[in-house]
Amino acid sequence: MPGPIDYSLINHQPDLDSAGWWEGTAAHRLLVPSCEDCAYRWFPPGPVCPSCRSMNLGWHEAEGRGVIAGYVVVCHPVLAAFREAVPYVVALVELPDCANANGEPVRIGGVLVDDEDAAAIGAPVEVVYDHAPDDAFVVPRWRVSGEAADGWRFEN
Amino acid sequence: MSRVSGRYCIVGVGETDYSRWSGRTTLSMACEAILKAARDAGLAVDEIDGITSHQTAAGDSCTNDQVATALGIRTNVGVDILGGGNSIGQLVHQSVGLLEGGHCEVIAIFRSMNGRSGVRMGGGAPTARGSGPGAARPQLASGINQYQIPWGIRGAPTRFAMEAMAYLHRYGYSTLNMAELAVTQRQAATNNPKATRREVISIDDHQNSRWITKPFRLLDCCQENDVAACLILTSAERARDLAQPPVYILGGNARASSYRPDWVWALEDVNAGWSKHVGERAFTNAGIDRGDVDIVTMYDNFTTTPMKYLEAFGFCGEGEGGAFIGDGRIGLDGELPQNTNGGQLSEGYAHGAGYLIETTRQLRGQADDYCPGWADGEHSYDRAGGCRQVRSREDRRRDNWDNPSPPTVSFSVGGGGTAQGWSVALRR
Repeated sequence: MPGPIDYSLINHQPDLDSAGWWEGTAAHRLLVPSCEDCAYRWFPPGPVCPSCRSMNLGWHEAEGRGVIAGYVVVCHPVLAAFREAVPYVVALVELPDCANANGEPVRIGGVLVDDEDAAAIGAPVEVVYDHAPDDAFVVPRWRVSGEAADGWRFEN
Repeated sequence: MSRVSGRYCIVGVGETDYSRWSGRTTLSMACEAILKAARDAGLAVDEIDGITSHQTAAGDSCTNDQVATALGIRTNVGVDILGGGNSIGQLVHQSVGLLEGGHCEVIAIFRSMNGRSGVRMGGGAPTARGSGPGAARPQLASGINQYQIPWGIRGAPTRFAMEAMAYLHRYGYSTLNMAELAVTQRQAATNNPKATRREVISIDDHQNSRWITKPFRLLDCCQENDVAACLILTSAERARDLAQPPVYILGGNARASSYRPDWVWALEDVNAGWSKHVGERAFTNAGIDRGDVDIVTMYDNFTTTPMKYLEAFGFCGEGEGGAFIGDGRIGLDGELPQNTNGGQLSEGYAHGAGYLIETTRQLRGQADDYCPGWADGEHSYDRAGGCRQVRSREDRRRDNWDNPSPPTVSFSVGGGGTAQGWSVALRR
């Protein structure tokens, strides 16, 4: 298990384009920006649909299960908040229930609850939530929930 | 071909020492670099009537008007832009536009940074306790950082590791390929007196260096240092009267962007998204083919980045970059010498300005190596004896060492990651 993350050392400042997304995580809902006109989905949130350029936007609620599409292992801490957490895995998670009509995936990052040994490209994961002190903000993380069928692990 | 291709030139270059603690202001260093470049060009400082620069959003440099005031000159135009590695090529093309538009006659481009002793990349503003993890105060997470900092992503190694890992995964390369690039470029740096790192390294040294963010070890990462660098540009007509042989700006890309909004996570763009869609445009607008290029510089913030740019700009096929950089191909006497100053991995980190200074000197035949007559174009071509001057493509092909010619055409790519970048083609 990676060491503790001290979220009090992060001055978290959502903006008016992202506030709804962070309200979602606070309610343990994983939201993906979604275009009300063309149903395109993407991440992270922005003011306009990057596909049809509509500004009529909403949210698609993800189930919170996905597959690791990529990962890195942070060994040298740069952030004070993560000083005790190293080594930790940052995973890029593909959300199958959020894919676009053309199959284009939507991906969200996050720190794995698990060690590097559990990480593999192709491994299934499920979302869990970390609360900053006083619930100042709530951060989605990922837990490996099974074996990768045809997984790839970084070696050497 | 662009209608301004070949009409404007780099006529002067200069830089301060690379150091880990300059003990100086960025203003002081910028002035030194500009004075050196003006002296190199044979220009009076008063003749500079345009100044342009870049700095990161952390505000890590001085501005064009501060420099003009410090040097006691009046300028007709001054521009500072925001950016890091995506900037120096943009400033070159923007300066050509300003010259072409008649806004100025002689323009100085500078980059000045206390990148180690002051504002470190990813470190935020410095405090009395430094800007690393020792500076235990809340770190602002806004804008794109609100989706990075809470997930432990901060600083270039964590931001660029994801696409590097995807590259290894997709094309089956290992960190031994990355080691090969680091070792080859370091070999060139042994003949660069100003390089931050000049000691020879082996594949084992690379493999034994400590992990930073997997797949990056310490020897996959570029230097962090304090430095200022300057390029002076003017018209081809004006250049005829100056001290140095002109180096003509042929073209390239100014600052192209990726189309994906989620750049840190855009695995589709593992081959460097912005560059893939502008590669052809760079050569068309410079009026050259890849086969005309004698030497390249490929932005080496990390060892994997040049592999991807070599692919994106068509010097090799998709997925072939990791193999292309092997077998000495990018060495000083290889098929396509790359980052002949040692790159940012070895010479030092000037956010890309060092590449254009190096290519300018190489095209002039004035690589600043250990040969006593380098400034007059006198080189031994003895690699074990400290010579870094590269021979022309033709001389390399014929294996000619007898009074060889310097390279004619260089092609430089900068930017670092998938988001934004530039390219610059130069000809002597």
